[in-house]
Amino acid sequence: MRFEEELVQLLPRLRRFARGLARNVSDADDLCQAAIERALKSREQWQQGTRLDSWMYRITRNLWIDERRAAGRRGVHAPIDEAVTQIAGEGAAEVEAGAMRGDVDGAMAHLPDEQREVVMLILVEGYAYREAAEILEVPIGTVTSRLARGRETLMHLLGEAA
Amino acid sequence: MSFDPATIAAYVDGELDDLTARRIKREAGSDAGLAAEIARNRELRAQLTAHFAPVIEEVVPERLRALLVETNVDTSLAARRETKRLRFAPIHWATIAASLVLGLTIGLKPWMPVADVTNANGTLVASGALAEALDTQLASNQPADATVRIGLSFRNRDGRTCRSFEGRGLAGIGCHEGGRWRLERTMGGTAQGEYRQAASGALAADAAAMMAGEPFDAAAERAARRRGWTD
Repeated sequence: MRFEEELVQLLPRLRRFARGLARNVSDADDLCQAAIERALKSREQWQQGTRLDSWMYRITRNLWIDERRAAGRRGVHAPIDEAVTQIAGEGAAEVEAGAMRGDVDGAMAHLPDEQREVVMLILVEGYAYREAAEILEVPIGTVTSRLARGRETLMHLLGEAA
Repeated sequence: MSFDPATIAAYVDGELDDLTARRIKREAGSDAGLAAEIARNRELRAQLTAHFAPVIEEVVPERLRALLVETNVDTSLAARRETKRLRFAPIHWATIAASLVLGLTIGLKPWMPVADVTNANGTLVASGALAEALDTQLASNQPADATVRIGLSFRNRDGRTCRSFEGRGLAGIGCHEGGRWRLERTMGGTAQGEYRQAASGALAADAAAMMAGEPFDAAAERAARRRGWTD
Protein backbone atom coordinates (compact mmCIF):
# COMPACT_ATOMS: atom_id res chain seq x y z
CA MET A 1 0.00 0.00 0.00
CA ARG A 2 1.25 3.46 -0.74
CA PHE A 3 2.59 5.57 2.09
CA GLU A 4 -0.16 8.16 1.63
CA GLU A 5 -2.91 5.55 1.57
CA GLU A 6 -1.67 4.05 4.82
CA LEU A 7 -1.67 7.49 6.36
CA VAL A 8 -5.23 8.13 5.19
CA GLN A 9 -6.30 4.95 6.96
CA LEU A 10 -4.51 6.06 10.10
CA LEU A 11 -6.19 9.45 10.18
CA PRO A 12 -9.21 8.58 12.35
CA ARG A 13 -6.99 7.04 15.05
CA LEU A 14 -4.50 9.84 14.84
CA ARG A 15 -7.28 12.36 15.28
CA ARG A 16 -8.47 10.52 18.36
CA PHE A 17 -5.00 10.55 19.87
CA ALA A 18 -4.59 14.25 19.06
CA ARG A 19 -8.00 14.98 20.57
CA GLY A 20 -6.83 13.51 23.86
CA LEU A 21 -3.66 15.58 23.80
CA ALA A 22 -4.89 18.90 22.51
CA ARG A 23 -8.29 18.92 24.20
CA ASN A 24 -10.23 20.78 21.54
CA VAL A 25 -11.17 19.81 18.01
CA SER A 26 -9.47 22.53 16.02
CA ASP A 27 -6.20 22.40 17.98
CA ALA A 28 -6.24 18.61 17.59
CA ASP A 29 -6.74 18.82 13.85
CA ASP A 30 -4.04 21.48 13.59
CA LEU A 31 -1.76 19.04 15.36
CA CYS A 32 -2.75 16.25 12.95
CA GLN A 33 -2.13 18.51 10.00
CA ALA A 34 1.32 19.45 11.25
CA ALA A 35 2.09 15.77 11.86
CA ILE A 36 1.04 14.75 8.35
CA GLU A 37 3.09 17.54 6.82
CA ARG A 38 6.08 16.52 8.89
CA ALA A 39 5.60 12.86 7.92
CA LEU A 40 5.40 13.68 4.23
CA LYS A 41 8.51 15.81 4.48
CA SER A 42 10.54 13.20 6.31
CA ARG A 43 9.04 10.06 4.82
CA GLU A 44 12.46 8.68 3.93
CA GLN A 45 13.19 8.49 7.65
CA TRP A 46 10.44 5.97 8.10
CA GLN A 47 11.89 2.48 7.75
CA GLN A 48 9.87 0.22 5.54
CA GLY A 49 8.71 -2.81 7.50
CA THR A 50 8.43 -0.95 10.78
CA ARG A 51 5.09 0.20 12.06
CA LEU A 52 3.87 3.37 10.45
CA ASP A 53 1.32 3.96 13.21
CA SER A 54 3.97 4.07 15.96
CA TRP A 55 6.07 6.40 13.85
CA MET A 56 3.11 8.72 13.28
CA TYR A 57 2.14 8.74 16.94
CA ARG A 58 5.71 9.65 17.82
CA ILE A 59 5.75 12.53 15.33
CA THR A 60 2.39 13.77 16.59
CA ARG A 61 3.40 13.57 20.20
CA ASN A 62 6.77 15.27 19.61
CA LEU A 63 5.13 18.12 17.74
CA TRP A 64 2.65 18.54 20.54
CA ILE A 65 5.43 18.60 23.15
CA ASP A 66 7.31 21.19 21.07
CA GLU A 67 4.19 23.29 20.87
CA ARG A 68 3.58 23.02 24.60
CA ARG A 69 7.16 23.96 25.37
CA ALA A 70 6.94 26.96 23.07
CA ALA A 71 3.67 27.97 24.72
CA GLY A 72 5.33 27.51 28.11
CA ARG A 73 8.15 29.84 27.11
CA ARG A 74 5.56 32.39 26.06
CA GLY A 75 4.03 32.01 29.49
CA VAL A 76 0.86 30.40 28.18
CA HIS A 77 1.37 27.20 30.07
CA ALA A 78 3.75 25.80 32.63
CA PRO A 79 6.75 24.09 31.02
CA ILE A 80 6.86 20.35 30.91
CA ASP A 81 9.13 19.42 33.68
CA GLU A 82 9.04 16.34 35.82
CA ALA A 83 9.07 18.27 39.11
CA VAL A 84 6.47 20.79 38.04
CA THR A 85 4.09 18.25 36.54
CA GLN A 86 4.34 16.00 39.53
CA ILE A 87 3.17 18.80 41.73
CA ALA A 88 0.35 19.50 39.29
CA GLY A 89 -0.59 15.82 39.49
CA GLU A 90 -0.71 15.90 43.23
CA GLY A 91 -2.70 19.09 43.11
CA ALA A 92 -5.21 17.41 40.88
CA ALA A 93 -5.56 14.52 43.27
CA GLU A 94 -6.64 16.91 45.98
CA VAL A 95 -9.77 17.73 44.06
CA GLU A 96 -12.70 16.05 45.69
CA ALA A 97 -13.23 12.48 44.67
CA GLY A 98 -15.88 12.09 42.01
CA ALA A 99 -15.89 15.83 41.41
CA MET A 100 -15.73 15.36 37.68
CA ARG A 101 -17.92 12.33 37.37
CA GLY A 102 -18.64 11.72 33.71
CA ASP A 103 -16.51 14.66 32.61
CA VAL A 104 -13.67 12.79 30.98
CA ASP A 105 -12.31 15.86 29.20
CA GLY A 106 -12.27 17.82 32.44
CA ALA A 107 -10.55 15.03 34.29
CA MET A 108 -8.00 14.52 31.51
CA ALA A 109 -7.25 18.24 31.58
CA HIS A 110 -6.14 17.82 35.19
CA LEU A 111 -3.39 15.44 34.15
CA PRO A 112 0.09 16.70 33.46
CA ASP A 113 0.92 16.32 29.76
CA GLU A 114 3.31 13.43 30.28
CA GLN A 115 0.64 11.42 32.08
CA ARG A 116 -2.06 12.30 29.58
CA GLU A 117 -0.07 11.00 26.64
CA VAL A 118 0.61 7.71 28.40
CA VAL A 119 -3.05 7.36 29.35
CA MET A 120 -4.08 8.02 25.75
CA LEU A 121 -1.60 5.57 24.25
CA ILE A 122 -2.31 2.70 26.61
CA LEU A 123 -5.86 3.07 27.85
CA VAL A 124 -7.42 4.59 24.72
CA GLU A 125 -5.23 3.59 21.78
CA GLY A 126 -4.57 0.17 23.28
CA TYR A 127 -0.79 0.03 22.99
CA ALA A 128 1.21 -2.29 25.17
CA TYR A 129 3.47 -0.70 27.79
CA ARG A 130 6.54 -1.60 25.74
CA GLU A 131 5.07 -0.10 22.56
CA ALA A 132 4.14 3.10 24.37
CA ALA A 133 7.66 3.33 25.77
CA GLU A 134 9.05 3.03 22.25
CA ILE A 135 6.73 5.69 20.89
CA LEU A 136 7.61 8.07 23.70
CA GLU A 137 11.27 7.03 23.72
CA VAL A 138 11.38 6.60 27.48
CA PRO A 139 12.14 3.57 29.65
CA ILE A 140 9.22 1.23 30.32
CA GLY A 141 9.45 1.98 34.06
CA THR A 142 8.76 5.64 33.30
CA VAL A 143 5.68 4.63 31.35
CA THR A 144 4.30 2.46 34.13
CA SER A 145 4.85 5.05 36.84
CA ARG A 146 3.28 7.85 34.78
CA LEU A 147 0.39 5.57 33.91
CA ALA A 148 -0.13 4.67 37.56
CA ARG A 149 -0.24 8.30 38.61
CA GLY A 150 -2.49 9.34 35.75
CA ARG A 151 -4.80 6.46 36.31
CA GLU A 152 -5.11 7.11 40.01
CA THR A 153 -5.97 10.76 39.41
CA LEU A 154 -8.57 9.88 36.78
CA MET A 155 -10.25 7.21 38.90
CA HIS A 156 -10.32 9.60 41.77
CA LEU A 157 -11.85 12.44 39.77
CA LEU A 158 -14.23 10.43 37.68
CA GLY A 159 -16.07 8.79 40.40
CA GLU A 160 -15.07 6.58 43.18
CA ALA A 161 -17.20 8.66 45.52
CA ALA A 162 -20.21 6.45 44.94
CA MET B 1 -4.94 -7.79 49.28
CA SER B 2 -1.58 -9.18 48.25
CA PHE B 3 -1.18 -7.30 44.97
CA ASP B 4 -0.03 -3.72 44.60
CA PRO B 5 -2.04 -1.25 42.49
CA ALA B 6 0.48 -1.38 39.62
CA THR B 7 0.13 -5.15 39.35
CA ILE B 8 -3.65 -4.94 39.40
CA ALA B 9 -3.55 -2.28 36.69
CA ALA B 10 -1.15 -4.39 34.66
CA TYR B 11 -3.56 -7.30 35.00
CA VAL B 12 -6.39 -5.20 33.59
CA ASP B 13 -4.09 -3.94 30.81
CA GLY B 14 -3.19 -7.51 29.85
CA GLU B 15 0.47 -6.95 30.71
CA LEU B 16 1.02 -9.75 33.22
CA ASP B 17 2.51 -13.14 32.57
CA ASP B 18 -0.02 -15.97 32.48
CA LEU B 19 0.93 -17.35 35.86
CA THR B 20 0.47 -14.11 37.80
CA ALA B 21 -2.67 -13.27 35.85
CA ARG B 22 -4.21 -16.59 36.84
CA ARG B 23 -3.28 -16.03 40.48
CA ILE B 24 -4.98 -12.63 40.50
CA LYS B 25 -8.06 -14.03 38.85
CA ARG B 26 -8.28 -16.82 41.38
CA GLU B 27 -7.77 -14.58 44.39
CA ALA B 28 -10.29 -12.04 43.12
CA GLY B 29 -12.88 -14.79 43.53
CA SER B 30 -12.46 -14.68 47.29
CA ASP B 31 -11.04 -11.20 47.88
CA ALA B 32 -13.76 -8.56 47.48
CA GLY B 33 -11.26 -5.71 47.82
CA LEU B 34 -9.16 -7.07 44.98
CA ALA B 35 -12.24 -7.69 42.82
CA ALA B 36 -13.41 -4.11 43.41
CA GLU B 37 -10.00 -2.75 42.49
CA ILE B 38 -10.02 -4.71 39.24
CA ALA B 39 -13.52 -3.48 38.48
CA ARG B 40 -12.48 0.10 39.16
CA ASN B 41 -9.59 -0.17 36.71
CA ARG B 42 -11.76 -1.79 34.08
CA GLU B 43 -14.37 0.87 34.52
CA LEU B 44 -11.83 3.59 33.83
CA ARG B 45 -10.62 1.90 30.65
CA ALA B 46 -14.19 1.46 29.47
CA GLN B 47 -15.08 5.04 30.28
CA LEU B 48 -12.10 6.46 28.40
CA THR B 49 -12.61 4.16 25.42
CA ALA B 50 -16.28 5.08 25.18
CA HIS B 51 -15.50 8.77 25.49
CA PHE B 52 -13.01 8.87 22.63
CA ALA B 53 -14.63 6.25 20.38
CA PRO B 54 -16.91 8.69 18.51
CA VAL B 55 -13.86 10.51 17.10
CA ILE B 56 -13.16 7.45 14.97
CA GLU B 57 -16.61 7.72 13.37
CA GLU B 58 -16.25 11.40 12.52
CA VAL B 59 -15.71 12.41 8.93
CA VAL B 60 -12.06 13.31 8.56
CA PRO B 61 -11.84 17.01 7.67
CA GLU B 62 -11.06 17.70 4.05
CA ARG B 63 -8.03 19.78 4.96
CA LEU B 64 -6.35 16.68 6.41
CA ARG B 65 -7.37 14.27 3.66
CA ALA B 66 -6.36 16.76 1.00
CA LEU B 67 -2.76 16.54 2.20
CA LEU B 68 -2.70 12.88 1.27
CA VAL B 69 -5.15 12.49 -1.58
CA GLU B 70 -4.79 14.25 -4.92
CA THR B 71 -6.65 17.51 -4.78
CA ASN B 72 -8.70 17.29 -7.97
CA VAL B 73 -10.52 14.34 -6.45
CA ASP B 74 -11.02 16.23 -3.24
CA THR B 75 -12.50 19.21 -4.95
CA SER B 76 -15.11 17.13 -6.67
CA LEU B 77 -15.84 15.28 -3.42
CA ALA B 78 -16.41 18.54 -1.66
CA ALA B 79 -18.62 19.64 -4.50
CA ARG B 80 -20.54 16.40 -4.29
CA ARG B 81 -21.07 16.69 -0.56
CA GLU B 82 -22.36 20.17 -1.09
CA THR B 83 -24.83 19.06 -3.74
CA LYS B 84 -25.83 16.07 -1.65
CA ARG B 85 -26.45 18.35 1.27
CA LEU B 86 -28.82 20.40 -0.77
CA ARG B 87 -30.64 17.18 -1.68
CA PHE B 88 -33.13 17.09 -4.42
CA ALA B 89 -36.08 19.31 -3.95
CA PRO B 90 -38.51 19.10 -6.89
CA ILE B 91 -37.06 22.29 -8.25
CA HIS B 92 -33.70 20.54 -8.59
CA TRP B 93 -35.21 17.76 -10.63
CA ALA B 94 -36.83 20.33 -12.85
CA THR B 95 -33.51 22.07 -13.28
CA ILE B 96 -31.75 18.84 -14.03
CA ALA B 97 -34.38 17.81 -16.55
CA ALA B 98 -34.16 21.19 -18.21
CA SER B 99 -30.39 21.07 -18.31
CA LEU B 100 -30.58 17.59 -19.83
CA VAL B 101 -32.76 18.79 -22.64
CA LEU B 102 -30.58 21.82 -23.07
CA GLY B 103 -27.48 19.69 -22.75
CA LEU B 104 -28.58 17.27 -25.40
CA THR B 105 -29.33 20.12 -27.71
CA ILE B 106 -26.05 21.87 -27.08
CA GLY B 107 -23.98 18.76 -26.54
CA LEU B 108 -24.83 17.09 -29.77
CA LYS B 109 -24.43 20.04 -32.02
CA PRO B 110 -24.45 18.68 -35.55
CA TRP B 111 -21.48 20.86 -36.50
CA MET B 112 -19.28 19.46 -33.73
CA PRO B 113 -17.11 16.40 -34.38
CA VAL B 114 -19.18 13.39 -33.41
CA ALA B 115 -16.40 10.84 -33.31
CA ASP B 116 -16.61 10.55 -29.51
CA VAL B 117 -20.17 9.26 -29.42
CA THR B 118 -21.73 6.33 -31.22
CA ASN B 119 -25.30 5.19 -31.42
CA ALA B 120 -25.50 1.53 -30.52
CA ASN B 121 -28.97 0.01 -30.81
CA GLY B 122 -30.61 3.23 -29.90
CA THR B 123 -28.38 4.11 -26.95
CA LEU B 124 -25.50 6.53 -26.88
CA VAL B 125 -22.13 5.02 -26.10
CA ALA B 126 -18.70 6.60 -25.87
CA SER B 127 -16.22 5.99 -28.63
CA GLY B 128 -12.89 7.33 -29.77
CA ALA B 129 -11.01 9.63 -27.42
CA LEU B 130 -13.88 9.77 -24.95
CA ALA B 131 -14.04 5.98 -24.63
CA GLU B 132 -10.31 5.88 -24.22
CA ALA B 133 -10.38 8.54 -21.50
CA LEU B 134 -13.15 6.72 -19.65
CA ASP B 135 -11.26 3.44 -19.95
CA THR B 136 -7.84 4.62 -18.95
CA GLN B 137 -7.74 8.06 -17.36
CA LEU B 138 -7.64 8.41 -13.57
CA ALA B 139 -9.22 11.48 -12.01
CA SER B 140 -6.45 11.42 -9.47
CA ASN B 141 -3.75 11.60 -12.11
CA GLN B 142 -4.70 13.31 -15.31
CA PRO B 143 -2.70 15.71 -17.42
CA ALA B 144 -3.62 19.35 -16.98
CA ASP B 145 -4.24 19.70 -20.70
CA ALA B 146 -6.31 16.52 -21.11
CA THR B 147 -9.04 16.96 -23.73
CA VAL B 148 -11.45 15.00 -21.61
CA ARG B 149 -11.37 15.45 -17.86
CA ILE B 150 -12.70 12.72 -15.62
CA GLY B 151 -14.64 13.88 -12.57
CA LEU B 152 -16.19 11.36 -10.24
CA SER B 153 -16.11 7.60 -10.49
CA PHE B 154 -18.72 5.72 -8.54
CA ARG B 155 -20.99 2.72 -8.44
CA ASN B 156 -24.59 3.39 -9.36
CA ARG B 157 -27.65 1.76 -7.85
CA ASP B 158 -27.57 -1.05 -10.41
CA GLY B 159 -24.02 -1.88 -9.38
CA ARG B 160 -22.44 -0.55 -12.57
CA THR B 161 -19.37 1.65 -12.50
CA CYS B 162 -20.05 5.15 -13.75
CA ARG B 163 -17.75 8.08 -14.43
CA SER B 164 -18.52 11.70 -15.03
CA PHE B 165 -16.51 13.52 -17.65
CA GLU B 166 -16.14 16.93 -19.22
CA GLY B 167 -14.81 17.45 -22.72
CA ARG B 168 -14.73 20.40 -25.03
CA GLY B 169 -17.91 19.50 -26.87
CA LEU B 170 -19.65 17.20 -24.48
CA ALA B 171 -19.91 16.51 -20.76
CA GLY B 172 -21.86 13.78 -19.08
CA ILE B 173 -21.85 10.53 -17.18
CA GLY B 174 -20.99 7.18 -18.71
CA CYS B 175 -21.79 3.86 -17.08
CA HIS B 176 -19.88 0.73 -17.97
CA GLU B 177 -22.04 -1.92 -19.56
CA GLY B 178 -21.13 -4.76 -21.87
CA GLY B 179 -17.60 -3.49 -22.30
CA ARG B 180 -18.73 -0.03 -23.40
CA TRP B 181 -19.55 3.26 -21.73
CA ARG B 182 -23.21 3.92 -22.07
CA LEU B 183 -23.87 7.65 -21.80
CA GLU B 184 -26.56 8.07 -19.19
CA ARG B 185 -26.28 11.84 -18.98
CA THR B 186 -25.03 14.27 -21.54
CA MET B 187 -24.79 18.01 -21.68
CA GLY B 188 -22.74 20.73 -23.31
CA GLY B 189 -19.04 20.41 -22.63
CA THR B 190 -16.56 22.84 -21.16
CA ALA B 191 -17.44 26.40 -21.79
CA GLN B 192 -16.23 29.53 -20.10
CA GLY B 193 -17.16 31.09 -16.79
CA GLU B 194 -20.60 30.83 -15.29
CA TYR B 195 -22.00 28.40 -17.79
CA ARG B 196 -19.21 26.00 -17.06
CA GLN B 197 -19.87 26.19 -13.34
CA ALA B 198 -23.56 25.58 -13.89
CA ALA B 199 -22.80 22.57 -16.06
CA SER B 200 -20.37 21.09 -13.52
CA GLY B 201 -22.86 21.62 -10.73
CA ALA B 202 -25.64 19.90 -12.65
CA LEU B 203 -23.33 17.02 -13.47
CA ALA B 204 -22.29 16.63 -9.84
CA ALA B 205 -25.96 16.69 -8.83
CA ASP B 206 -26.76 14.00 -11.38
CA ALA B 207 -23.86 11.89 -10.16
CA ALA B 208 -24.99 12.28 -6.56
CA ALA B 209 -28.48 11.15 -7.52
CA MET B 210 -27.21 8.06 -9.35
CA MET B 211 -24.65 7.08 -6.77
CA ALA B 212 -24.88 4.16 -4.35
CA GLY B 213 -22.53 4.88 -1.45
CA GLU B 214 -19.49 7.10 -1.71
CA PRO B 215 -17.57 8.03 -4.85
CA PHE B 216 -14.30 6.19 -5.41
CA ASP B 217 -11.21 7.63 -3.86
CA ALA B 218 -7.93 7.45 -5.75
CA ALA B 219 -7.20 3.88 -4.64
CA ALA B 220 -10.67 2.57 -5.46
CA GLU B 221 -10.56 4.26 -8.83
CA ARG B 222 -7.27 2.62 -9.65
CA ALA B 223 -8.52 -0.77 -8.47
CA ALA B 224 -11.67 -0.42 -10.59
CA ARG B 225 -9.56 0.33 -13.65
CA ARG B 226 -7.48 -2.77 -12.93
CA ARG B 227 -10.68 -4.83 -12.93
CA GLY B 228 -11.70 -3.33 -16.25
CA TRP B 229 -14.50 -1.31 -14.59
CA THR B 230 -16.54 -4.43 -13.94
CA ASP B 231 -17.33 -5.90 -10.58
